[in-house]
Amino acid sequence: MGVTGVVERLGVGIGWRPELDLSIARMRGVDWVEVVAENLHARHLPDSLVALRERGMPVLPHAVSLSLGGAEPLDTTRVEHLAEVARALDAPLASDHVCFVRAGGLDSGHLMPLPRTREALDVLVANVRTAQSIVDVPFALENIAAVLQWPDDELTEEQFLTELTERTGCLLIVDVANLYANARNIGTDPVAFLDGIPWERLAYVHVAGGVERDGVYHDTHAHPVRREVLDLLAELRRRTDPPGVLLERDDDYPTDSELTAELAALRTVVSA
Amino acid sequence: MSREELAARQAKLLENLLTGAAAPPGFDPERLRVEAGVLRGKRRRLVAYLRPDLPQALGPRFRSLFDAYAAEHPKTTEVRAHEYAAGFAAWLVSRGELPKPRRRRFRR
Repeated sequence: MGVTGVVERLGVGIGWRPELDLSIARMRGVDWVEVVAENLHARHLPDSLVALRERGMPVLPHAVSLSLGGAEPLDTTRVEHLAEVARALDAPLASDHVCFVRAGGLDSGHLMPLPRTREALDVLVANVRTAQSIVDVPFALENIAAVLQWPDDELTEEQFLTELTERTGCLLIVDVANLYANARNIGTDPVAFLDGIPWERLAYVHVAGGVERDGVYHDTHAHPVRREVLDLLAELRRRTDPPGVLLERDDDYPTDSELTAELAALRTVVSA
Repeated sequence: MSREELAARQAKLLENLLTGAAAPPGFDPERLRVEAGVLRGKRRRLVAYLRPDLPQALGPRFRSLFDAYAAEHPKTTEVRAHEYAAGFAAWLVSRGELPKPRRRRFRR
């Protein structure tokens, strides 16, 4: 069960996108939002986001470019940007992913899996500690959707994440759509993952839609949430009462009523 | 594996995925192919988002032209996303795929 005081109760939220700002302002059933930190400037926040803050709605920044699992030196200017955005939003928490995005001068533009080795964990731990020293709110890390695996994994994903939280004190964002994607694409066991996660470290949960193409499940955030993903959320709910659950929708934006229905479906599962 | 070795292996992996360089040892070639497609698609959608005029002008050719550009010009860490999209636009003009843009009147 979530430990009171580690993470405040957030409720049901949605990923804030400029294309959704008017919908979010008028939809019922949105308790909080998450924003992509790289898309914001701390001194020039969008008016619609400032309006949500003025209504008292929590706005949590989520970074995608820190490359915390990258073995090259951490780009601390990116972490400082995240810290500034977190301060400007008076956010209770900031986050990024367990991944790398840059190496050898190249930018993948996407979240790349890490080898789950001791050495890679040491690198990640060192980078997370540096990030924590710059960001002045609790820091959380999210599991990603991977379509490939490194050949020399020594730890399961749940072991890797558990050690990460033990060594850094960071929190976790568990993305159940990514669990589903990994089960489909690389054959990992989502139930073993859920059994191995230190739930007292849970910040909140991500849920998103995707689509299957040519035998590969793509975590697109542009399609409806699948029943199987909601089932995994229910499986998670059997183990903990998550402080928050967030719907991510990044493209092919549906109507307000469709989004409201998806949010209501999440609320139903976590309220069970 | 030291931090330096891990850095080198991460670089090799991205090189393979973004430029088609030799596959790093031990990886499943089919999975590398899938991941390369995912990265290309992600970048392509971002370029289309930043420069909607390009898919509009190219129609169905946008995809194959972008993929050809991306294989020769992987995005480096030095280049910002909008600069990368502009680089693709300039490449299209240089190859005669798009007419030379007229000076934008309202550009500040």
